[in-house]
Amino acid sequence: MFLRQSYEAAYHFKEVSFLIMRKPGQNPRILVADDSEMNRAILEEMLGGEYDILQAENGVEAVEMIRLHETELSLVLLDIVMPVMDGFGVLDEMNRTRWIEEIPVIMISAEINPDNIERAYELGVTDFISRPFDALIVHRRVVNTILLYAKQKKLINLVTDQIYEKEQSSSLMIDILSHIVEFRNGESGLHVRHVNLLTAMFLRHLTQHTEKYRFSRTEISLIATASALHDIGKIAIDEKILNKPGRLTTEEFEIMKTHSAIGAQMLRDLPIHQEEPLVKVAYEICRWHHERYDGRGYPDGLKGDEIPIAAQIVALADVYDALTSERVYKPAFSHQKAVEMILAGECGTFNPLLMDSLRGLAGSIQEELLGDNLVRANQREMRNIAEELLRHKELTASERTLQLLEHERMKYSFFADLTKEIQFEYSISPSIVTISAWGAKHLGLPEVIVDPLNNEKACSLLSATDWQRLSEAVRHTTPEDPNLTYDCLIHYIDEPRWVRFVTRSTWSLEEPPQYTGVIGKAVDIHDSQLRLRKLEQMASHDPLTGLLNHSAAQEQIQARIEDAPERNYALAILDLDHFKAANDTFGHHFGDRVLTFLAEKIRQGIRSGDIAARVGGDEFLIFLEYKQDPEPVIQRIYASLRGEYKGFRLSVSMGISTSEDCGTDYDTLFRTADSALYTVKRGGRGAYRFYNHTMERTLSTITPIENQTVKEER
Amino acid sequence: MTLKECYEKMEANYDEVIGRLRSERLVQKFALKFLDDPSYQLLITSMEEKNYEEAFRAAHTIKGVCQNLGFTCLGDSSSALTESLRSGWTPEADRLLEQTKADYQNTVTPLQSLKDSQQ
Repeated sequence: MFLRQSYEAAYHFKEVSFLIMRKPGQNPRILVADDSEMNRAILEEMLGGEYDILQAENGVEAVEMIRLHETELSLVLLDIVMPVMDGFGVLDEMNRTRWIEEIPVIMISAEINPDNIERAYELGVTDFISRPFDALIVHRRVVNTILLYAKQKKLINLVTDQIYEKEQSSSLMIDILSHIVEFRNGESGLHVRHVNLLTAMFLRHLTQHTEKYRFSRTEISLIATASALHDIGKIAIDEKILNKPGRLTTEEFEIMKTHSAIGAQMLRDLPIHQEEPLVKVAYEICRWHHERYDGRGYPDGLKGDEIPIAAQIVALADVYDALTSERVYKPAFSHQKAVEMILAGECGTFNPLLMDSLRGLAGSIQEELLGDNLVRANQREMRNIAEELLRHKELTASERTLQLLEHERMKYSFFADLTKEIQFEYSISPSIVTISAWGAKHLGLPEVIVDPLNNEKACSLLSATDWQRLSEAVRHTTPEDPNLTYDCLIHYIDEPRWVRFVTRSTWSLEEPPQYTGVIGKAVDIHDSQLRLRKLEQMASHDPLTGLLNHSAAQEQIQARIEDAPERNYALAILDLDHFKAANDTFGHHFGDRVLTFLAEKIRQGIRSGDIAARVGGDEFLIFLEYKQDPEPVIQRIYASLRGEYKGFRLSVSMGISTSEDCGTDYDTLFRTADSALYTVKRGGRGAYRFYNHTMERTLSTITPIENQTVKEER
Repeated sequence: MTLKECYEKMEANYDEVIGRLRSERLVQKFALKFLDDPSYQLLITSMEEKNYEEAFRAAHTIKGVCQNLGFTCLGDSSSALTESLRSGWTPEADRLLEQTKADYQNTVTPLQSLKDSQQ
């Protein structure tokens, strides 16, 4: 190496005289990047006669060289091992800048490491030259590579030119040409465009609906383009005849009629492009677009299918557009009228297949012509692609799947709307919940919520406890048992309402299955929940007095004792003295009101933690807790029950048992209190007594409650 | 001294190099240029400074030039040295450096004689 440079210095290579540019001129240029001056010199010696050689002694210089001479470089000969930046660095840069697509690279190296060779090929090198150099091989490889790339570039240019010529110039030129014709005709600039569109429509319709005609999209496009030239022959017609407002004389009409043959002749006389499909089709259209299916047209009087189909279609399109446009000699007819006139044969005779197409297209022609803009064109394009796809059989399976999917989706959204349920779908990754349209509206939430667990509004719908329980319950589902029901309150803005979450956890198809999310719905069960609560209330309460019934009271009392068995409890049973007499004297209604009156007194007399119930016809139960002596409480309650209801003096007898004396078994407590009450009754009524063992073996005082099915009574 | 005699002295393959490069003039021009090539000096300095990365590149360059010029002996020893330095210093490197030094001398001495005889 002659030069030892730092990285920075390498960037200023222009000031250093390593750059040797030989005979700048027409020779192709080759960049040789090698850190050995000897190697560069040898290569230069080998190639110098036919090529201009640029040199770089490291990767950075090479990149700078390429940057400077990009378009002039025919080839880069690149060493791998170089200081500052190696050959792979240069290739990376050439890939980044896409120079590699334009400039061929041949690697020169003694490297035989297959990894390096593969890596170089992957980075886009064209070939390898290994050391030691063989002059013939080096020369041949260089020549071949440069030729190959030159040829490829030429081909690319050729193809590009052809496409440009075909797709751009031709249609542009045709547009200009046909506008000139129209301008002379005094026709609207849209005539050619309309004929073009109508021609394409008929071609498509024939392809779709007849066995006889099959046009590819390319053919349709070609014929439609050629249709623009149908009237070029009018260039040769005298403007006075062309734009005469009144009826043409026979002579004038004969002159006018020559335009089709003249147009065809103009195309026939083209010095080149005779073999172009466009020219051939245009010729047919020009010459025969005034022929008639019944053979009464001009210039050749062709009949039926002697007339090329392209010319038949353009003739029809021409007539339709002429009818619906205003002309110097006539007003514009409506679309409807024009179609009627053509179908009625008022404007010539046409191929019956074309008449079928006209009937088929009648509904869409106007729309197509009016909506002729880029968007429509794109949509048409899309439809064409879709049609193309449909023709491939292998796609039918997946297409059917898509249809089924679309059908399911429609069904789903229909039913979702119908049920007025909040339906949702939650996926954990990404964390997104999708809510049915109705549900989202109902909840005042968007239909899609990203990261819903951190969405304040979504979270506020359920209490923290409910969220916790619900998510735990969901997490405990399994693929075998993925369903879950959970009732809780949803906190709407105006009021909380009971809902039932019915969910199904979803699992991946992997083994083992991974939990992926939840689908489900939240059904409003508020009303039924309220009814249920009412039923529960009804089941546990005495309908007349609103106090608990016996079985509900028993449940509560047992629960209370179970919770704290060490505490002291007293159970009192009381009944109304002389109640039967009141019933007999004043009637059942009065009796009921007396019972209700007493129940109210009981309710007011007891403390909030005490339990009161109606356990028989006129028997009531009071259960309470006490610290040391139950008597003061009992006495106070007993005293509070005295009074009078509409002349009927309330007198109450009461028997009491305590857990201290009788234990905590409910049945025992009840039976002993009952015995105490019986003892009071036997002893003259109007008093209370605590149970003692002398009262054993007494009878029960309890009478059945009328008009009530008592679930369970002893 | 002729180029062919020089190559025989170097134990290098004259016929092979002429076969490849196709020109005695070209071979002689570059063979003599090898005397001025700084890579060998760079190799010695880098090894002394324990800059093995630079030494690897220098050895690699010598190897490449030798292969191109058909300097078989020096090409072989510098090639072995290159491999021993490819991933930094290895124990064989020092021995291979000595071999490369000896082969370098065996190469440049005949080249110098050739150069002297040309003037």
